[in-house]
Amino acid sequence: MVASLRSWVANEGGKHFVLGWISILGCVCVCVCVDPVAGGEHLALYEDLPAVLHWTAVSLPVQDAGGMCISRASASVLNLNCSLVLLPMCRSLLTFVRGTHAVSSRETRRLLDKSKTFHVACGVSICIFSVVHVSAHLVNVVNFSVSYSDDFPALNLARYKGEDPKLIILTTIPGVTGLFLVLILFLMFTSSSYCVRLFNYEIFWYTHNLFIVFYIILMVHMVGGALKYQTNIEAHPPGCLTANQSSTSQRREDEERRCGEEAHFQPHYPQTWLWVSGPLCLYCAERFYRYIRSSDPVTIVTVIRHPCDVVELRMLKKNFKARPGQYVVLNCPGVSSFENHPFTLTTCPTEKKETFGIHLRVVGDWTERFTQMLLPQPRMDLEILPMVQQRRYPKDGWTGFRLQRLYFVWVCRELQSFYWFSELLCALHHKLWQENRPDYFNLKLYVSQKDNLQSMSEEKYRPLTSRLLVGRPRWKLLFDEIGKTNKHKRVGVFCCGPKGISKTLHKLCNSARSSGTTFEFNKESFG
Amino acid sequence: MGKIEWAMWANEQALASGLILLTGGIVGVAGQFRGWQFAAYAIAAGVFVCLLEYPRSKRAKGTSVERTGQYCFTVCVKSFGPLTRNYYVRAFLHAAICVPGGFMLATVLGCVCLGIASIIYLAAAIRGEHWEPIVPRKDTVRPPPADIKNPPQNPPPRPPPETRRKRVEDLEGAAYDNPIPVKD
Repeated sequence: MVASLRSWVANEGGKHFVLGWISILGCVCVCVCVDPVAGGEHLALYEDLPAVLHWTAVSLPVQDAGGMCISRASASVLNLNCSLVLLPMCRSLLTFVRGTHAVSSRETRRLLDKSKTFHVACGVSICIFSVVHVSAHLVNVVNFSVSYSDDFPALNLARYKGEDPKLIILTTIPGVTGLFLVLILFLMFTSSSYCVRLFNYEIFWYTHNLFIVFYIILMVHMVGGALKYQTNIEAHPPGCLTANQSSTSQRREDEERRCGEEAHFQPHYPQTWLWVSGPLCLYCAERFYRYIRSSDPVTIVTVIRHPCDVVELRMLKKNFKARPGQYVVLNCPGVSSFENHPFTLTTCPTEKKETFGIHLRVVGDWTERFTQMLLPQPRMDLEILPMVQQRRYPKDGWTGFRLQRLYFVWVCRELQSFYWFSELLCALHHKLWQENRPDYFNLKLYVSQKDNLQSMSEEKYRPLTSRLLVGRPRWKLLFDEIGKTNKHKRVGVFCCGPKGISKTLHKLCNSARSSGTTFEFNKESFG
Repeated sequence: MGKIEWAMWANEQALASGLILLTGGIVGVAGQFRGWQFAAYAIAAGVFVCLLEYPRSKRAKGTSVERTGQYCFTVCVKSFGPLTRNYYVRAFLHAAICVPGGFMLATVLGCVCLGIASIIYLAAAIRGEHWEPIVPRKDTVRPPPADIKNPPQNPPPRPPPETRRKRVEDLEGAAYDNPIPVKD
């Protein structure tokens, strides 16, 4: 399938642009840190290194200086990434930003929807640059031990020449904190793989919450650090000669280059807190806000059992506003105090009716225990604490919105599943036929299981049965058909389903089309 | 928390630790640091751990997602029978493998990470988990029913020409409308 440039830009351009820009920022950070002539203050470090006390850094053994440069450069990139990684997780803030009129462009809203991808990209960068940082420091630690300098004792990290590098790591603050940081990062990284998130979400969630320990340790990582700068650069310029030294050149040059006083060094203050404290405070405020909002209880008004293990829940909460497309996160302390499960809203509160509803499918142990508590005796005194986070803009209502046509493709394994929303679909279909807009809503239902075919015999579900097809949908043909009937238009594709379908649709959206239609791909995923 | 499979997490950790050991070993050997023999051992140990941990186990309940191209590794690992099935064996094996890595600076991290993975494997073994190979499912191709093979020999039955001819005087009673005039 040939990828069309326009479709690719519509679907992938935004996020690649942002990632590219962040990489440029990272490169700038690296360049600033590795600046070889960042004042003369750091040249003193080069002087510490063995063999020569020449007054230019050029003649010094490059591999010794390189280790510090690489570790400093990777440290600054790590600072940047550690500060950025928290921002996409401030979901209430992103919801607020997304909903304001300041963000009126659809491209910006779609970019905000990709916040989880950005978080993952920052996380992966942190891992990669940590590897670089740790490798460079391992080389440095060996050098500190081997290249212990007697001329500038203040600059040494090792206590004596030839000190065991492992001892240097375990007895200095940067060493010990670094070790703990790497271990926490290892635990967080290994539990964030797709499989662990999908099948054992609790491991991922509880390990990932170690981030707060990570950040606290990170902020004290540079205390008593290796990097020092010289405070009296005028009195003791780099390469000046001490009283008992002389160079091979003329004696009058010697007079000019005498040192006024001994070199004084001061360690750099840890700078990580400058980068990290802002986003960390923001995220803590976000979590606190979510906790406050969730403290109001909610009442369950109705519980309806549907076929194929689906339960519909209608709830009521004071001052609760939501728009179609948003989801809520449920917490039931009677089932589990710490587990929060997201469910997309299937009924939103309106002016006439204040209840909101979700459909939940009994798949895992939480939903099983939850439905056992609800049925057959629904207890009205259960406390459910929902939170609302906006995911995407509404697709209901056809006045005041630019939606011209809706194609609803629903694939289920069994026919009985269509009963979950049969009333709603039939009501919508009839309403549109009454309003003489039959082509506004195009319904296509697919039953993927070909054996044991049942039938929907009720007459009132005729609009559904006449649009029912057996077998999986052939997406390419569907896209071609939609493309032909909507030439040179923008079609938004909203996918909620397993990864296989999502990947197929994403590829189809990016591929070239002779009809000139652009398909914009959006997906909902909670993992 | 009842249905957590610790072995899956331990597997991810062990694979990552194998890679870390390998990287540390390469750095140690390339830099010719003191104790580089331990680094050479770490390279071999890292490769071995990666090969052992690459094939994912089948889940006790539910669908399993296998890693790309893991089938040939599954076959190799499966051939060792109970040695690789049992997680107690894996836990002690990883604990033993990781110890020499602790003697050299470059491989210390790999050693600690593999040690953590070994502890999680022990926890998984205590909970009764074991390794199951993921065998690719052969979809049984059902042969089509016998009567489908032959297409119909005769055209569909049609009413006789008198009924088929278009009766102008009685359009309602005509059998159907012919686009092509009927010839006897």
